[in-house]
Amino acid sequence: MAPVRPSGGHRVDARGEHSHAHPSPDKKKVQEGLIILNVSGTKFQTWRTTLERYPDTLLGSTERDFFFHEETNEYFFDRDPDIFRHVLNFYRTGKLHYPRQECISAYDEELAFFGIIPEIIGDCCYEEYKDRRRENAERLQDDEEMDMSNDVTPVNLTYREFLWRAFENPHTSTLALVFYYVTGFFIAISVMANVVETVPCGTMPNRSKEMSCGDRYALAFFCLDTACVMIFTVEYLMRLVAAPSRYKFMKSVMSVIDVVAIMPYYIGLVMTDNDQVSGAFVTLRVFRVFRIFKFSRHSAGLRILGYTLKSCASELGFLLFSLTMAIIIFATVMFYAEKGSTASKFTSIPAAFWYTIVTMTTLGYGDMVPKTIVGKVFGSICSLSGVLVIALPVPVIVSNFSRIYHQSQRAEKRRAQRKSRVAKIRAAKIRGTNSYMRYKQNGLLIDSLEEASKKAGQALVGKAPSPPFESQHNHLLHCLEKTTNHEFVDEQTFQSNCMEISVMNKSGSHASSLSSSPHGLSSCCSRRHRKKSSFSLPSTNNQELSTIQIRERPVANSRSSLNAKLNETVPLKYDESYITPSMVSLSAPVVTSSDGHGSNTTTTTAYSQSNIVRVSAL
Amino acid sequence: MGALMVIFSFQPKQRRKATDSVEDELELSAVRHRPEGLEQLEAQTRFSRKELQILYRGFKNECPSGVVNEETFKDIYAQFFPQGDASTYAHFLFNAFDTDHNGSVSFEDFVMGLSILLRGTIQEKLNWAFNLYDINKDGYITKEEMLDIMKAIYDMMGKCTYPVLREETPRQHVEVFFQKMDKNKDGVVTIDEFIDCCQNDENIMRSMHLFENVL
Repeated sequence: MAPVRPSGGHRVDARGEHSHAHPSPDKKKVQEGLIILNVSGTKFQTWRTTLERYPDTLLGSTERDFFFHEETNEYFFDRDPDIFRHVLNFYRTGKLHYPRQECISAYDEELAFFGIIPEIIGDCCYEEYKDRRRENAERLQDDEEMDMSNDVTPVNLTYREFLWRAFENPHTSTLALVFYYVTGFFIAISVMANVVETVPCGTMPNRSKEMSCGDRYALAFFCLDTACVMIFTVEYLMRLVAAPSRYKFMKSVMSVIDVVAIMPYYIGLVMTDNDQVSGAFVTLRVFRVFRIFKFSRHSAGLRILGYTLKSCASELGFLLFSLTMAIIIFATVMFYAEKGSTASKFTSIPAAFWYTIVTMTTLGYGDMVPKTIVGKVFGSICSLSGVLVIALPVPVIVSNFSRIYHQSQRAEKRRAQRKSRVAKIRAAKIRGTNSYMRYKQNGLLIDSLEEASKKAGQALVGKAPSPPFESQHNHLLHCLEKTTNHEFVDEQTFQSNCMEISVMNKSGSHASSLSSSPHGLSSCCSRRHRKKSSFSLPSTNNQELSTIQIRERPVANSRSSLNAKLNETVPLKYDESYITPSMVSLSAPVVTSSDGHGSNTTTTTAYSQSNIVRVSAL
Repeated sequence: MGALMVIFSFQPKQRRKATDSVEDELELSAVRHRPEGLEQLEAQTRFSRKELQILYRGFKNECPSGVVNEETFKDIYAQFFPQGDASTYAHFLFNAFDTDHNGSVSFEDFVMGLSILLRGTIQEKLNWAFNLYDINKDGYITKEEMLDIMKAIYDMMGKCTYPVLREETPRQHVEVFFQKMDKNKDGVVTIDEFIDCCQNDENIMRSMHLFENVL
């Protein structure tokens, strides 16, 4: 880099002589230290020293020389000028700001491009940046997980994996849906039975006391309970069998709930009418009500509620702690205030706890009221402070719940939009392959490639015409075809071929490892031209393999009479261009003739013959 | 009761590692790489200054952080083969570009590779191709390595092919290759056998000049 010379033309020193030569006009700016940055047409200018303040970024280091445009003597960047403004401000002021209206990923990309780490963002904007980034990351993660879970059914699912998938995503198959609804129904029945059991049902003729329904129809309720528990047990065992990681499954909350729901029944079966234990047994029956939590598998709202509470654990803990503190304080005060009054209900401090809790939560049952004036004063202070203490953490919990709820709403919406997205991606993929098919049929392969490579040789800077890229892409696919001696076909042709094969009972089946690529084909824009050119070359290495194959293959299978004709047309030259069209037409008669034969072996031979045709024609 | 509710917090189906991923992202963003100066690259490769500028602009647009990791490489490569699964072959190609085996391809690695492929001598190009096929870089291509590569190539075709791809096709292809290349029948192909065989094959020689005019 040229050293910075003092600006201006002639310098006349004390002796009246010119001390420096007049710098040429186009170097003037450079020597003055001004740098012109042209970002997509918007020109920015700054001092060179400003940029060099941060030498480990793109603009401050020699990396910017890669973007120097000699004709206009400026640095050209093909990026967003609005965001660049902030980047340049960073150099000027030393503080990086994050504009609220910009998309977070666009901003991140620009920062990554210019080599600036986001931690430098100033305190004024850092919180906002982190929040937006976290939101974006969560959203992307949701998308990914949904994509992964809703993928096209992999073909080779073991029975166990299939079962697990049916359990976790009931909408995937009708059977799973039926099972889902049946279990939900039985949960409801079981809970209702538990409730109705305790309702008084009228008296029996030989008893005077009124009996509950549970005692009156004991057998019926017992049968109902047995049925429900059997279904829950079967469900639990099936889930246990199907779980990919049994240990993790057993640790999970849902499985604990399942176990707790069915355990009381089994314990009750085991324990007979033993008087000492029956008291404990009655307690166990309480646990039956936890069956209602099994509904959380069926209701997303319940899950959201639970998750919210879990994520607000610290706020809830704070609430609990402050309440406890306040309860103890006020209970003590009330106890000592009411100690003097006669027949006071405040017999001890723990007894006063009850009063304090009821007052602070503004319940006010009225079973314990202060009678002295001091007691009443402190009682009112207690109720006022109770309102405050409870009202404080609640908005935090509410906002958490609202955020999580909105996220799940968004997830639902995206799930609904998935179908159209998948269809669009497939269409883009098919477009990509169809363009290659069309290209092949036009038979313009090598001619245009030669032209294109000449054109590309002349195009150096900036022009990057897309036809050479397209033609190179097509050449790449063509090389791959030649190497493997198989042709690309579109889906309909493939399906019809498959049907022919299955009709003719051919033994060979296609390789199972090939699943359709999940990547959508984005537009082959010219900026990928450079990458493309590098990657197409390795395919020429593939050509080596194919040429090797040429020599060997015709020796291998030679059975039917078709071979003789074909061998004549085998010129082992490499001039693919001229033979390619003939190759296509040669393969057609072979196929049609094979259709005529109904037998196994001829078909096999015919197909291998077509392989040979392909090879030798090349 | 509040405590009880807290205990019975249900497992969310999603959002397990939200915070972790954000921190991972921040760590990744710290991995930046700046290439050597233009003059140095010009000296080390056979590209002119302008060509290097064009290459760098394209590279930086795809990978603003200055290095390509394997995932990005596979993604980009997969776009050229929409019908098949190009990830295995892209993996081998990535290892061929990543000469210092640090898991990422910097601009220098990329440009060195390109310089050999586009502007190198025949010997260099063949050397590079051998290096690509030699997966464990021990100087020999064994049948297993060749089979892996062959399977990767056939994977790129996808399943909609005519005629339908069969399981044993790659293996047969490898047998043919070895018959041709392995002169002393010791079960491996060395670099000399490889270069010898390729130099004697005029089709391969002709294909070496195919992309000289690109860029």
